[in-house]
Amino acid sequence: MRPIALVTDSTADIPTDVREALGIEMVPLGVHFGEEAYLDNVDLTPEQFYAKLASFDGLPKTSQPSPAQYCEVYKRLTDEGKDVISLHLSSAFSGTYQSALTGKSMLEDEREDAVTVLDSKTASYGYGMLAVAAAELARRGGSREEILERIAKLKAETKLYFLVDTLDYLHKGGRIGKAAALFGSLLNIKPILTIDAEGYVTATDKVRGQKRAFARIVELLQTAFPNGEVDLAAVVTPGRTEMAEELIGLLRDKFAVRKFTRSAIGPVIGTHAGPGTVGIFMTPAGLM
Amino acid sequence: MVLAGAEALSQRAELVNELNVFPVPDGDTGTNMAMTMKAGAAELRAKPADEVGRAAETLAKGLLMGARGNSGVILSQLFRGFSRAVAGQRELSVPLFAAALQHGVDTAYKSVAKPVEGTILTVAREAARHGTAAASKTADIAEWMDEVYRKASETLARTPDMLPVLKQVGVVDSGGQGLVYLYEGFARFLLAGGRDERETAGRLDRRPEPLRVGPASAGRGSAVETAISVHGAQAGLATESIAYPYDMEFFIRRPAGPGRKPFPEAAFRRALEKDGDSIIVVDDGDIVKVHVHSRRPGDVLNAALPHGELTELSILNMKDQHRELLAEAADRRRGAGTLPGPKREAAPRPPCEAEPLGLEAAGGLPAAAEPALLAGPDRLETPHPAADEMAPYGIVAVSVGAGNEELFRSLGVDAVISAGASMNPCTEDLVQAVSSLAAEHVFLLPNHPNVFMAAKQAAELTGRSVTVLPSTSVPQGMAALLAFREDDSVKANEDRMRAAIDKALAGQLTKAVRDTNVDGVDIRSGQYIGILNKTIVAAEDGVVEAGRALLSRMLAEGDEAVMILTGEEADPACTEALVGWLGERYPRAEVEVHAGGQPLYPYWFMVETL
Repeated sequence: MRPIALVTDSTADIPTDVREALGIEMVPLGVHFGEEAYLDNVDLTPEQFYAKLASFDGLPKTSQPSPAQYCEVYKRLTDEGKDVISLHLSSAFSGTYQSALTGKSMLEDEREDAVTVLDSKTASYGYGMLAVAAAELARRGGSREEILERIAKLKAETKLYFLVDTLDYLHKGGRIGKAAALFGSLLNIKPILTIDAEGYVTATDKVRGQKRAFARIVELLQTAFPNGEVDLAAVVTPGRTEMAEELIGLLRDKFAVRKFTRSAIGPVIGTHAGPGTVGIFMTPAGLM
Repeated sequence: MVLAGAEALSQRAELVNELNVFPVPDGDTGTNMAMTMKAGAAELRAKPADEVGRAAETLAKGLLMGARGNSGVILSQLFRGFSRAVAGQRELSVPLFAAALQHGVDTAYKSVAKPVEGTILTVAREAARHGTAAASKTADIAEWMDEVYRKASETLARTPDMLPVLKQVGVVDSGGQGLVYLYEGFARFLLAGGRDERETAGRLDRRPEPLRVGPASAGRGSAVETAISVHGAQAGLATESIAYPYDMEFFIRRPAGPGRKPFPEAAFRRALEKDGDSIIVVDDGDIVKVHVHSRRPGDVLNAALPHGELTELSILNMKDQHRELLAEAADRRRGAGTLPGPKREAAPRPPCEAEPLGLEAAGGLPAAAEPALLAGPDRLETPHPAADEMAPYGIVAVSVGAGNEELFRSLGVDAVISAGASMNPCTEDLVQAVSSLAAEHVFLLPNHPNVFMAAKQAAELTGRSVTVLPSTSVPQGMAALLAFREDDSVKANEDRMRAAIDKALAGQLTKAVRDTNVDGVDIRSGQYIGILNKTIVAAEDGVVEAGRALLSRMLAEGDEAVMILTGEEADPACTEALVGWLGERYPRAEVEVHAGGQPLYPYWFMVETL
């Protein structure tokens, strides 16, 4: 059995040390502030990105990796005698998945069979965590089938909720999905957003003020996981650590959590969700 | 006579307003009733008729569409019943008048889900009952009307004994008072031998002291309005009897000659009652007038035939009448008279003004309807999408103030009815707003206790699928909208929105317009009073002090979300002071301020708990 290598793009928001320790390959998206071009998570850290975003007039642009970039990575890994599972940002948000598929089709036939490209239908650490779990299983010698099954199961059982400071960013980037009806509200409404099974942003609820929003998210998670036993609670923010800690504090009160992780939302997701975004991914006990 | 009554009511609208239980500047039962009557009178002027039946029908239609405020809606129902009873008649005799008043009372009672005694309903009922008795004693219509008026007046004086809230506050029922003024106008006109109403009206006392019976206390609006707001969730109109859809009217021409047997009125009524209601049988000797809503029109005709020849038969399907009203409303929206058809005359319609204030104290009614006001484009900025683009939901909200209107729109409201200072759109405004939406189901937020009945009436008139929610203030309406979800079912949305209305803490700050005492709190005219949901909880000389006192009552934990809607009278320095105080006193609260622009209320607050 050939060993399995995991490939993601840079929007998986996996902390660099974790990614390197597990040997997960990352193909960066591009970020452009006017004429200045950067590679996501390579020569532009989240901190640098948000500092630039604050002073930049308008929105930066993002660009998906080229098929050639993917093809090159797949070639290298298959040369090393590995099978590849390549996991990507929801195709509802980005052409990254399509680009990976095209990259795969540029391989010769026998290599092509060694590469599996997946549309995660989620974003950020929502599929970052899937890649991490998959890489861990691969280390333990899991087969391709076992790993794909694990990914599907985790994806189905994981709950995701996120808040944005303002829907402006999602709206401007065209990523607002079914939450569009809420756009333009003059009140300080915090829509509680999620990503549905098709990979689109949708609003679960709407409340006023961040405190009520956090309280509501905890309520929703309690409904989803009534026994309160949780393997993983992953909180993502673009460096707003005080918000992350506040939410973690609330979750600690209500859930028995085996592991909390915190990761920084990278430039691409940051561009489309906005700097005030905070998200929580929660996986019930017994799956990891 | 009707015009004289309308004028009499209009002249004293302010006096009726003063009978409102709360000392708030938008207590306006009198204005509502006067505006309702004015809409009816304007319709009558626009379509004058020689026959009483036609005139009454025209009047009733004008009133129905022009009805505003709960008392106005009841008034429109009284005349709706009246018009049914006199349909087809040329002249008004005393017995017919009496029967018609009674039919009006029956109709009005049916239209209110939970009739409350000690209100306009009681006054109307007692007057009609007395009218029926008096009809056997006099054939002089002026004398008879005077009797009816006196009985109404007598009954009004007893309303505080029937409804405790009136006694507490020391007033008679305002809606009842309005009706008494109207009947007084009728009586004076008739006693004066039917002379020009202005001449007659000119002799009316301009400012008779409204009847007060003791120290003032709590409650809001007229007694009817108080009761409605209490039972808001359950109250509703059943203006059309679905059980008895055929509205029948005809005359039985009795055989002439000495051998004629007396008409067996009681037995005939019983026969009709088997499958009908709204029964009126008026035996004039030679002619028997019959009116009934029946399920089996054939049986009614068979029951009548043995007693004589049937003439001037009219059988209407009341569901059709509904549809016609709808069509007319739609015509007016598009610009009247664009569609041909006998039922759709391009006659001018009465104005249905947005501003219910500014009544001419002595100048009389406007000469005719002002066509420019017909469609009310200022108030109804509604898009008119094609019928094939039906959205699942449409939302209509009654609001006041430019800022609040913007907020409502930003919350997804499709049609905002920008009401006047006192938040009283007429039924027609609401009908138009609902009809303008290409939506399968419409949620209607009245946002004022006194708009609820008109909203219910409008919902029925449109024949559309409409849910009227019991929101009694603009902040409550906003709370309801936060609970709305486009992808949820009608029932789930209704439940969520009702729950949000119940849960929301809505605070209103305004200036007291008279001295009174509420729950042991002395209020002086000119003081600022804070109203939490339906209770006065604060009275202070300064607006900031009153705001603090009110907010202190609304914030319990200190980590609530507070929304402040500033009115047009709000002083930015005061707003700043209030926000600063909130920040110091409740550092964990999340406060947002919006320029609402509402008149009369410097501040509206909404507080949401975790």
